[in-house]
Amino acid sequence: MDALIPFTTSGSLVDLVDKKVMVILRDGRKLLGVFRSYDQFANFLLESCVERLHYKLEYADTDLGVLLIRGENVVALGEIDLIAEDRVPLIPRPLDEIRTKINEENRRKERDHLIKSKVLETVGFVSDGREGDAY
Amino acid sequence: MLIFSFFKTLTDQVITVELKNDLSITGTLKSVDQFLNIRLDGISVEDPERHPHMMAVRNCFIRGSVVRYVRMAAKNVDTTLLEDATRREIKDAKK
Amino acid sequence: MDHAAAAQISEPLDLVKLALGERVFIKLRGDRTLTGTLHAYDAHMNLVMSQVEESVHIVDVTDAGQPLPPRVERRNVEMLFVRGDSVILISPAQQ
Repeated sequence: MDALIPFTTSGSLVDLVDKKVMVILRDGRKLLGVFRSYDQFANFLLESCVERLHYKLEYADTDLGVLLIRGENVVALGEIDLIAEDRVPLIPRPLDEIRTKINEENRRKERDHLIKSKVLETVGFVSDGREGDAY
Repeated sequence: MLIFSFFKTLTDQVITVELKNDLSITGTLKSVDQFLNIRLDGISVEDPERHPHMMAVRNCFIRGSVVRYVRMAAKNVDTTLLEDATRREIKDAKK
Repeated sequence: MDHAAAAQISEPLDLVKLALGERVFIKLRGDRTLTGTLHAYDAHMNLVMSQVEESVHIVDVTDAGQPLPPRVERRNVEMLFVRGDSVILISPAQQ
């Protein structure tokens, strides 16, 4: 594995270090924190991390502290524009309220997914396994 | 290397990256690496109400493995060159 | 494919080489198919295609849990990169 990759222009995330970032994970979780370190596998180290649960324009945060995220779970990392963040119309709500709404939404999605898959199988589309991690 | 080289020719162009979770992000391609990880600047999200968490994000890093598609303007691509390069790459791979 | 003998087909991806510059049909994960002109590919089955029509097969479900008949959402893209790990099959397009 080329150890210079993080230091080449293309592979570099060095300009985002020490900035406030949001990491999206494959399971849909959104984590906000201060970006401290990374490596060639896109493993990330976040400090003062919170998980933000979103339900439409409402949200709730849970504190997680220092997190090491395994790169294979990462979808994207975004730099939070601190000025834009203040103007964003998101409404904080109590954690249990948001959790309840999200659980209801997920239950519906799961039920629908099973029903959809059955029908799509009959027209030649199978959902075995996930799209891979080819590299 | 072929596809990596292709993406390098698209630096500073506007592209739309569609992820496997159906999120589509449009932005300027700032860099790409051999894993086809992508850095995008000046991003906007398709269907922002479905993805409110992206509202305060202006630039991002996208892991190559989660990309489904990258859409781009046809005028930025020389298809004849691409086909020739593909044939060459296959020939070289077989040697 | 009468020119197969002359073209030295030794592995499955050699069939894709014959389709360079031609219309192809692609089946992808996520209940999708594509038809487009193939300009580049690699061993991962990453693809670059132009004049693409994407068909997404969708099944809506009512609140009561009844599936509606499948519908197809179509979209046209002038130039498209497709990541290889989504590709299920590649075939010459039906005429």
